[in-house]
Amino acid sequence: MTLHSIPAPERKYRVAGHPDLRVAILDVGLACCALEVGAAITAGLLVPEGSVDTGPATSEVSVLLISGTVTDALAPAVIRAWGALAEPRLAVSFGACANTGGPYWDAPTVTKGIDQLIPISVYIPGCPPRPEALIAGLARLASTDGPCQSERGDESP
Amino acid sequence: MIPGEAHGTIALSASACTSCMICVRECPTWCIELDSHTEQVSEPGARRPKTVNVLDAFRIDFGLCMYCGICVDLCPFDALAWSPEHDLASTTAAGLVHGIEELESTWPSADCAAEAGTPGGDGSPSDS
Repeated sequence: MTLHSIPAPERKYRVAGHPDLRVAILDVGLACCALEVGAAITAGLLVPEGSVDTGPATSEVSVLLISGTVTDALAPAVIRAWGALAEPRLAVSFGACANTGGPYWDAPTVTKGIDQLIPISVYIPGCPPRPEALIAGLARLASTDGPCQSERGDESP
Repeated sequence: MIPGEAHGTIALSASACTSCMICVRECPTWCIELDSHTEQVSEPGARRPKTVNVLDAFRIDFGLCMYCGICVDLCPFDALAWSPEHDLASTTAAGLVHGIEELESTWPSADCAAEAGTPGGDGSPSDS
């Protein structure tokens, strides 16, 4: 993702072990956590739709996956990406940096938790979290909130 | 499949903890909070009562935790151990702060500990 262009999620994924959930992920990979998303795809935990024969999904949700350190310079781009995402949408905070600032908790130029800027549905802890933790977090999207929570706060400018 | 030695999360055996504060001081992200008080314990035949630390609260903020394992390595009493448990996602930021009960619930089973070669599993946290 660049600062000025917000791509739409190109690929939809099925989540291993949760056949009824289809997620369109816009991965805001800002730091090393982003590698774990790739690892989840390589390991077959996150299955690109169309690559294998999958049955019909009952729920589809657009997911903004914030994986990495949100600096003050990048924060406006994250907010724009959230605003550009199609409904129903949910934001997932992946890793310590996105959750709370993590190891940069005392850095003046790092956002101390992306939930200060956009509403977060699921926080996944780890530095970085395992790929399995990503799957468990996405599964939580389906099991608890449901994909209809986004109206609890549209804070995009 | 999560291997037994996986660094999924950090578990606590409160009965082994002496509230020495080493983990709290050494944590690079200061994600551990510990509250304790001292009590006098009188033993029959002793010349004077013994002063012991009693653990009141132990919290790890997994939102901040880097899972570096410095606390696990430095604990002189093996009260902290790696656990392969990884499904810790929460729908609130406050839900990432785990207290004694949650930290003890992920204490690794003896099988996991044997695979990992860690002291975890020797003393279950429930034996207090």
